[in-house]
Amino acid sequence: MIKPRHTVRPRAGRTARLLALVAVVGLLAAACSSDDEPDDPITVYSGRNEDLIGPLVEMFEEDSGIEVEVRYGSSADLALLIETEGDATPADVFISQSPGAMGYLATQDRLQTLPASVLDSVDALYQAGDGTWVGFSGRQRVLVYNPNLVDPADLPESVLDLTDPAYDGRVAVAPANSSFQDFITAMRFDSGDDAALAWLEGMAANNSPNYPKNSAIVDAVLRGEVEMGLVNHYYLLRFLAEDPDAPGINHNFAPDDIGSLLIVTTGAVLETSDQPSAAQAFVEFMLTRQAQEFYASETREYPLAAGVQPPDELVPVEVADVMDTIDFDVLGGGLARTQELIEQSGIVR
Amino acid sequence: MDAGRLFRVWGFGLGLFFAAPLGYLVYENVRLRSDILDILGVGRTWGPLGNSLLLAAAVSLAAMVVGTALAWATVRLDLPGRRLWAALAPLPLVFPTFVGATAFIALLARGGLAEQVLSPLGVGTLPRLQGFWAAWLVLTLFTYPYVYLPTRARLRHLDPSYEEAARVLGRTPRAVFTTVTLPAMLPAVSAGGLLVCLYTLSDFGAVELLRYETLTRSIYANRLFDRATSVTHGLLLGVVAVGVVVVERWLARRRAGGFAATSDRPPPRTNLGWLRWPVCAAVVAFLLLALVAPLATLGYWAGRGIANPGRRVGAFALDAAGIATSAASTVAVSAVAAAVTVLVVLPLAWLLVRRPSLSASASNLLVTASFAFPGIVVALALVFWALQVPFAAVIYQTLPLLIVGYVLLFGAQAANAARAAVGAVPPRLSEGARTLGARRWRRLRTVELPLMTPGLLAAGGLVFLSVMKELPLTLLMRPTNLPMLSADIWDSTESLFLAQAGLESLVLVAASGVLTWLLVLRRSEFA
Repeated sequence: MIKPRHTVRPRAGRTARLLALVAVVGLLAAACSSDDEPDDPITVYSGRNEDLIGPLVEMFEEDSGIEVEVRYGSSADLALLIETEGDATPADVFISQSPGAMGYLATQDRLQTLPASVLDSVDALYQAGDGTWVGFSGRQRVLVYNPNLVDPADLPESVLDLTDPAYDGRVAVAPANSSFQDFITAMRFDSGDDAALAWLEGMAANNSPNYPKNSAIVDAVLRGEVEMGLVNHYYLLRFLAEDPDAPGINHNFAPDDIGSLLIVTTGAVLETSDQPSAAQAFVEFMLTRQAQEFYASETREYPLAAGVQPPDELVPVEVADVMDTIDFDVLGGGLARTQELIEQSGIVR
Repeated sequence: MDAGRLFRVWGFGLGLFFAAPLGYLVYENVRLRSDILDILGVGRTWGPLGNSLLLAAAVSLAAMVVGTALAWATVRLDLPGRRLWAALAPLPLVFPTFVGATAFIALLARGGLAEQVLSPLGVGTLPRLQGFWAAWLVLTLFTYPYVYLPTRARLRHLDPSYEEAARVLGRTPRAVFTTVTLPAMLPAVSAGGLLVCLYTLSDFGAVELLRYETLTRSIYANRLFDRATSVTHGLLLGVVAVGVVVVERWLARRRAGGFAATSDRPPPRTNLGWLRWPVCAAVVAFLLLALVAPLATLGYWAGRGIANPGRRVGAFALDAAGIATSAASTVAVSAVAAAVTVLVVLPLAWLLVRRPSLSASASNLLVTASFAFPGIVVALALVFWALQVPFAAVIYQTLPLLIVGYVLLFGAQAANAARAAVGAVPPRLSEGARTLGARRWRRLRTVELPLMTPGLLAAGGLVFLSVMKELPLTLLMRPTNLPMLSADIWDSTESLFLAQAGLESLVLVAASGVLTWLLVLRRSEFA
């Protein structure tokens, strides 16, 4: 009774096998040919979140006709992914939320030198010394405070003054956060390791409450759990957008103070990119007037190119004064030593 | 090849597959020439190690107590609304811990929502929510379902005739519980407790936000600029996990008199009289804390955003269609991943119950212990090994490889529950069917599968909920055009689009709740 099926089976099997073969060959062909096709999508690994950069990616796609596939993640995880993928990485462009993760890839020789057309549009302060990455936009370091708990007259002109005993227990820090570590690295290159360590020890002696990251500090300040905290300016704006009545104000240090450092979002083209010109076009687009105005007006950040003015709530930084002693290039590479100093100072509680 | 031989080969291969994270960590340690002894010899290692062990032990204990109590209350007591409580109880598992911890901070910390609500009642300021007790509380509330689900399944299908016999023979109710019911429940409780313990070892979201320095936090904090410490601590975590699994297995073997009889008779219910109201109130109060409290915070964020449109930085509008698409694709991927994971580990579960051997136990050890690795380690291990394979580019960052990754991450959960499912098939029934002439396939279809179904559904349900909220692997390995809710929630939370994060999280919980009810609870327990 099973016999009739037996006579059919071999043919069905042959067809199935043929189909499978066609499918495999097709897949392989697609995989091999994909590298040479000029109008292939480029792949961007972005440490900057989709909510903040997605609209710009769409603008670029419309403008250039180049399709973009974006993989979002934390900058550190994506840098590790690129390192682990090695030559096989599908990424053409890497965007890092802070210079640290970008510097990590730069020290591993994973980045291409960008063409002069890209490098020329950004101040030399906001690009790698060897031309492997450029800054797109900046987040300013500020002191966020709760006006119900703090008299604005008590706020200092310099971040260095926060070690004064008058601020004992009142200033929150995020020692494990990359922006804080970038800030300490900048301080090291501005005034030396000893001065940076002394400041950290002063903050430790002042019992500075620890938080995991910027947003946690701003949240705690708004709730009144802590009076003030060292953060990037952007987070308060977001909290106020969600809850306009929340009690928080960003205090800017003096324009030439190290405390007013800009933490830049950076972009680079990977050494292994198979479409370097499309990838460079993507990076270049982020420095156009259109994109820079988006940073200033939509994400309320410090624009770095095309002469676009910063948003009103940011005090214009006298850029050269803060930056001319800082080699931004070293912000990435020097982070291991920064972490040692932070640990040694006892600020981690 | 006969089925038993095939299963043995499969089980061995599974052990090799689940050794991938461990192998990757060993390779990285060698490549980086990390000075393991030097790193292990300093306080930077011993502090976090001690904290990890302390937290894992405390959370497992609490989760075992709470999970067992809830399972007991919803199966064995005549509580009003017990089906509803039973269906709600597994849901806290679906909160990603970074969302759950953020919600609890917004709710319970100083100046938080609870304080604002309670201050008219004269409640003073609450303390800062951080450190051991905060991490313990949040992790217990989000992991007890690992104990609740298997224990409930066990209680629900336990043959009541053993307890009846003990009672008829004159044992007191307490003696019946300690000598009959408890020993029958213990394998499920302890297997669930093991998962809680390993999960706690692997968790980063809660300990990061609540600031408790564990090994996993150190693995993350040092992952870029002190790789040697990071991978050494990863390896140490693996050793700890293997140790924990060995101890649990050893305790399990020492327990005498585990019996596997199951029945479809409805479980006996204790009539509590007036006491059922306070007991019911306790169950409700607990669910309020574990489920409703975080949901209330998320709902508050979502409602605030919907009430204040246009006040946001930039023109970022709430995107209902986008959220619905993400939810649909997340549910589909999670369901496929759950089914594949259960099928992949089932042969190993069968081996462990029916043909125990050293090789099967070793495979099981690797499968289970791998659950303690944080997602980023497993994700990078998968990348590392996948790219050693020729033509890897064809499947790299595609759906099939993503599913393979989920199997690697959550195989432990499925294996644990599947073992219980296979154990629910009395060997004499299979043999009886064979004697009556039923062939292999027919025995499986008519006798074994129906008996295993509740356990396998529970296994699939656990994996389903875990995939729904998985983050590190999803971010690094998903196809770039595949929307996933967990990734959306992470994105919104990181860039502080709290209204969006709240809404997406509510959708995540709702979708998980409906699917768990339809596919797991309703079929396995209320049929």
